[in-house]
Amino acid sequence: MSSAYKGPIIELRDVSFRYPGSRLIVNDLSFSVGNGEFIGLLGANGSGKSTILKLAAGMLQPAAGTVRLWDKPLSTYRNKDRAKLLCYFPQQLDVNVPFTVREIVGMGLYPYDIPPQMTVDEALAMVGLTAKASAFVTNLSGGERRRVFIAMTLIQGAGVLLLDEPLANLDIRYQIEFLRLLRGLQKQKGISVIMALHDVNIALQFEKVMVIREGSILGSGSPETVLTKEMIRQAFEVDIEVRRSDRGETYITHEKWF
Amino acid sequence: MRTMRFGIFVVVAALILVLALFAGPRMINPFSMSGTEREILFAIRLPRVVVAMLMGMALGASGAILQGVLRNPLADPYILGISSGASLAAALGLMSGFYFFGSLSVPVTAFIGAVLVSLLVGAFGMKRGGLWPERLLLAGIGLNFLFSAMLMLLMSVSSDDGLRRVVLWMFGDLSMADWTLIPSASIFVLAGLAIALWRSKALNALILGDEFAYSLGFAVQRERLIMFAAMALMTSASVSLGGTIGFIGLLMPHIARFLLGADSRVLIPASAVAGGAFLCLADLIGRSLMPPLELPSGTVTAIIGAPYFLYLLRRKDVLSV
Repeated sequence: MSSAYKGPIIELRDVSFRYPGSRLIVNDLSFSVGNGEFIGLLGANGSGKSTILKLAAGMLQPAAGTVRLWDKPLSTYRNKDRAKLLCYFPQQLDVNVPFTVREIVGMGLYPYDIPPQMTVDEALAMVGLTAKASAFVTNLSGGERRRVFIAMTLIQGAGVLLLDEPLANLDIRYQIEFLRLLRGLQKQKGISVIMALHDVNIALQFEKVMVIREGSILGSGSPETVLTKEMIRQAFEVDIEVRRSDRGETYITHEKWF
Repeated sequence: MRTMRFGIFVVVAALILVLALFAGPRMINPFSMSGTEREILFAIRLPRVVVAMLMGMALGASGAILQGVLRNPLADPYILGISSGASLAAALGLMSGFYFFGSLSVPVTAFIGAVLVSLLVGAFGMKRGGLWPERLLLAGIGLNFLFSAMLMLLMSVSSDDGLRRVVLWMFGDLSMADWTLIPSASIFVLAGLAIALWRSKALNALILGDEFAYSLGFAVQRERLIMFAAMALMTSASVSLGGTIGFIGLLMPHIARFLLGADSRVLIPASAVAGGAFLCLADLIGRSLMPPLELPSGTVTAIIGAPYFLYLLRRKDVLSV
């Protein structure tokens, strides 16, 4: 891509969307993601996070408004070209598939005629699955399966990752490792990430969060400024508070939960 | 490793073909053939083996495609009603005594029936400009019942004339095989196979799910339509060559997957090779077991195939798409 271009990598402008016969899911939404930005999309279940990611990925066509990738309408890209620039990671992994780990990770190279720099073995090493390369994905644990698809996403090498709750089913170690992995890629290659989340604790790790309710942005900015008690109440209908310790660590507080 | 296994696979299939040519009620020694034996070999056995091979290839590959497109390990090309529609069309042609296309009546009407049913199933499986696997499957099952019932109705009200032929043909009858249909049928089968191989990466991606397939750069609905068309082409050609032969479309992809893995780039050709060899073998058994009586190949494939399928069912990891 042209190095001279300094504008947003992906941009949604006045986007609205509804599924046939339903109410408006996304209403007049605008936001943009710059090069190397790392954004957490925070919202309750059913708030429209997944729909927003699918609109940004071009899987759903907006009823109104435009989605642009590298300053060009997303719909004008050829499928293969788009896949080299933008990668979507679905929330639901249907892993009842007959492939081995290596076969699935290798599919990340499908958009390419000439494979890019990363090899399947490197991608497997990054997610700690080298020993399971020949295993059938059906024989892995839930977290391992997710890491297989994460490795596929890494090898696909797109500069924009739209990740729909990729941390679900991962234990805390792999949640942290996956976030570090993404941070490393962001530093090295300047990838941009939008990650749907519903865990406020994880959102605190991001530089920027966007809080979503009913397909609209309630607030956006650094987690410390955005995730106020009032904002969380609006988004999740629950009373919790974000505090900062003397050592600068942020955390959520709540009276005994049950 | 996999290349070697595929090689072994092809060699075994080739040996079965040779066996099917020279073995049978009358054994032929390829190194000293009499005039009659030469006649049997080229006018009867060879076209029969070629027809069996083409049909088996078409059904095996179609099964591999359909199990992937529908993401269902129980799918086979007949589940969509293509064969019962073809049978109905052929039976209508036979029983009306109205021979539209001379000696080619049965295959041509069957082919037309199969293509029409494919279009019909496709139309029912469409929604919002795309083919949806669940809709496709349910539409196929519904149409299959409808056509089977109509066929039964037709058979129960018609005179006996031609009935035996229809019944035989429904169970897969290769005894009428000759050279006339082979050129046109092989074009359809090879074209379908070529299309399927060309888009085999897309099929792999579709098996992972529509969202991953999209993210990997495939136009999901278009790819599914292409694969469906390739499958319909091959199945229609197969039905027109020798009727309905069960179990190949269901079983061969499972055997190929078990031996060579699920990557469609290997699975489609392997299922085709396995299907071709298996039908040749079944036909050889069917005509050798109690000559001069010939058992319909379809019954032989089912009698061998069903127990093996049940055996596979007991093994882990095999019965997924």
